[in-house]
Amino acid sequence: MTCVEGLRVVLLDVVDTDTQRCRVGPHLMSRLGLRVGSPVLIGVSQGTCLCVAWPRRDLAEGYVQISSQCATPDLSTQTFTGLTVDPARIKALSCPRLTCTSVKVFVRSLKHKRHVRELVQELLSGLYLHRGHLVDLSHANTEIRFVLVEHVNSGAHTAGLVTDRTRVDVSAVQSAKHFQNQQRVSDLSLGGLEDVYASLKEMIVFPLRYPASLHRLGVSCPRGLLLIGPPGVGKTLLVRCVAKDVGARLVTINGPEVTGSRPGESEENLRRVFDRAREAAEEGSCVLLIDEIDSLCPKRTSGSSAPENRLVAQLLTLMDGIGSEEGFVIIGVTNQPDALEPALRRPGRFDREVVIGVPLLLQRRRILECVCRQMPLSADVDLSAVAEMTCGYVGADLSALSREAALQAMRHSQPGVAERVEMRHFMAALRQVRPSCLRSSIGATDFKPVRWEQIGGLEEVQLKLKQSIEWPMRFPEAFVRMGISRPRGVLLYGPPGCAKTTLVKAAASSSRCTFLSVSGAEIFSPYVGDSEKTLTQLFVQARACAPSIVFLDEIDSIVGSRSDGGSSHSVQSQVLSVLLTELDGVGFRSLERRSGSRRMRQLESGEQEPDELHQMELQEVCNKDVLIVAATNRADVLDSALLRPGRLDHIIYVPPPDTEAREAVLRVCTEHVPLHPDVCLRDLAELTERFSGADLQNLCKEAALTALCEDGFTVSCVRHRHFLKTLQSLTPSLTPDQLQQNIHLSVSS
Amino acid sequence: MSSPVLASFHEQLHKCFEILKVNKSIWEGVLVECTSMISSLGNLATQIKALKNVQLANTPLAHFPSLQERLHYKLSLAVDTVLRKLDENMDALQTARNTISQHVSAAFQFYEKNTNTLDIICCVFRSATCPSIADMLEWLQDADRHYRLQLLQRRNFLQMLTPTDLTLMETAPKRWDSLRLPSREERIGDALCQVSFLMEMSSKAQL
Repeated sequence: MTCVEGLRVVLLDVVDTDTQRCRVGPHLMSRLGLRVGSPVLIGVSQGTCLCVAWPRRDLAEGYVQISSQCATPDLSTQTFTGLTVDPARIKALSCPRLTCTSVKVFVRSLKHKRHVRELVQELLSGLYLHRGHLVDLSHANTEIRFVLVEHVNSGAHTAGLVTDRTRVDVSAVQSAKHFQNQQRVSDLSLGGLEDVYASLKEMIVFPLRYPASLHRLGVSCPRGLLLIGPPGVGKTLLVRCVAKDVGARLVTINGPEVTGSRPGESEENLRRVFDRAREAAEEGSCVLLIDEIDSLCPKRTSGSSAPENRLVAQLLTLMDGIGSEEGFVIIGVTNQPDALEPALRRPGRFDREVVIGVPLLLQRRRILECVCRQMPLSADVDLSAVAEMTCGYVGADLSALSREAALQAMRHSQPGVAERVEMRHFMAALRQVRPSCLRSSIGATDFKPVRWEQIGGLEEVQLKLKQSIEWPMRFPEAFVRMGISRPRGVLLYGPPGCAKTTLVKAAASSSRCTFLSVSGAEIFSPYVGDSEKTLTQLFVQARACAPSIVFLDEIDSIVGSRSDGGSSHSVQSQVLSVLLTELDGVGFRSLERRSGSRRMRQLESGEQEPDELHQMELQEVCNKDVLIVAATNRADVLDSALLRPGRLDHIIYVPPPDTEAREAVLRVCTEHVPLHPDVCLRDLAELTERFSGADLQNLCKEAALTALCEDGFTVSCVRHRHFLKTLQSLTPSLTPDQLQQNIHLSVSS
Repeated sequence: MSSPVLASFHEQLHKCFEILKVNKSIWEGVLVECTSMISSLGNLATQIKALKNVQLANTPLAHFPSLQERLHYKLSLAVDTVLRKLDENMDALQTARNTISQHVSAAFQFYEKNTNTLDIICCVFRSATCPSIADMLEWLQDADRHYRLQLLQRRNFLQMLTPTDLTLMETAPKRWDSLRLPSREERIGDALCQVSFLMEMSSKAQL
């Protein structure tokens, strides 16, 4: 007769609705050592509820009927039908008679607050209470709907029975609507925004918690805050989280909802929302969130229409009007602060402006931890590595990434088997989800990754490039220790066809930076000032996704020189001046600020910081800049201002390949070509004086074609004579003049 | 099934039910009284309202000095008297409820003390003549809770009546009636019927 398996949850009988009874079979009761009417704590799904055990009237085993009259807040709205409960989750609870308890009361409307205290005592009497549980008292048809138990017996016990002699303290009376609004916000997770979060919370909580001190100081707490940041970093989510955490009511204004068709309707709507928020602020704190405030409150210029101007004026006066209410905070959210009416951005309206930047490495890791919390991750998933790879991704991108990874796992899983998300799923997802800030960007390029080994020779140049690009990423600690900062720019120059572009490609694919490549065609435009703007935009984006590499190919054609006699007002010289200021200007615009890691450090200082975290932090410190890599084959025409240290500090000459290098290049080029044993690459290397890398590649291709020509399409390999024959028809592309020119420059610099 | 503890517990339960039966009739008697008072209260409210609306100057009664104030005073006094009487009745209800509560909780305490003897199997055992202990405890608890809630609701309702809110007072009789929960009362009646046979048996045995 014993039932070991789960108990089926059945709907409660009507007669038992307000009795706190849970009906179970008598055998189970005797097995659990329960008497009739002894309090039990039942764990159902995520929460628990406190009931009184009672035998089922038909004495049947295997069923349980649960009263959710006193349950954790998340349970009370749910229905239990269809669930099963493990008998092990039913626990007997010792409940002493309480001497005192403190509760928060939720009433139907705040008008009838008077009798609440006496009523609560009467209504609760005879019930068992548990700390943190919500007691449903709506059956009594009084003003009181719910009671939230804050603590019982001053915290000495977790649960107990209320008798006529128990002292019931009412800590707060709030409207039930208020409570339900709070409940509706689902469980949100937020990562990497701790410092902004703290400042926001402080703003809401201070006036509520320390009104006396504020009054003594004679100041009023700031009431307005403008959140600025690129789309997808979690501005709105942050506000929702804060509101939920401090228990504030959230009233939202969306631009299109407010705007009406009749004249004056929009202003009326706006006033109504403010009234609603003010009403909510009377019973506790209230956050008024104005999402996309730039659409609601654009600049008032002579061009904009009169209704729009009136709406802006209404908003301004309304914001001035909220002086007296405690705990009423207005938060505006925008990603285009420049489009806002300047009158809004002054103390008294939006006192504070908080810029949320694109998340840095550690923040990304936190965000990933948050978004993957619910996900079954396999042991090989290294979120730190994923964070390193997702440079330039914002919160929304990261959550899209994790979702995509989970989808990948689902696609590959067998039906019925719960597959864990593995690292390869993340890798596959990384290929599909690109950072959103690069979606509309100029210069975002897709290219086939190139490995260092695919470049023959040029070991010295490779080393120098690795120094500037890879080392700061891999050994940040050493860089900090030696006090070296990352170079700002690298100029690669040398004769054409000597793998300058390929070198940059290899560098970009080996480091996990954002890679933006731009050429003259993308920058120049027929409109005056447009080219400069495009270049500035490029750098803004590069900084937002830092660490990043901006590659300017054929830089001589983009910028030119100011000293070569041309007009100083030409587009090229203006582009040059923009580039110079971007490389080494006074500072950034305040908009591009990104939250520093120092604050996060402080937050964590209490706990022991793992080495890995420290490493990541250092990496962040070292790599907050944009590296410019320029390539040219006419370094002599470049402006001298561009070549000084601090701008393009590393000037690397990519020489034409010497004999050894040519041999290495030939080896790389013939990797996929079947060679006859009589081919001697060394001989070929010696024969190809003044051939560039590109020439050598061409040679291999031509030789293979010659072989096909001479020996028909069934030929199996390329012979040495094919190479020699091809060589006769090819001339080296490098001229002695070119070589002389470049060598001259390298000597002078 | 015939241990001395069980027998004495049965006896206590019977006593409880007897008390319940007595107090139920008291309760109902008081409620009937209340109903008539409440209806007179509603009547008074209608009168006050009518008085407010009427223009005495346009009637033959215009010659009487300050008639409106006097009438209003008189009616208010009447309302006060009715309310005071109702309050007294509430006290009577409270006494009845207290008696029931006292005995019910005594029965529960007795059960809690003797849980070792009265195990679950014994508690759920029922026969044709005798309902199980668990059932009887449930009925008693339900009855206790019903009276407690009824008293609370009726008290609360009376507290909400104010001389300014005449509409509420006018509709008082209807609202008062709506506070009744016939199903619960029926359940108590049913329970009393179910134990009546047993009670007769035990009273005969005592004789």
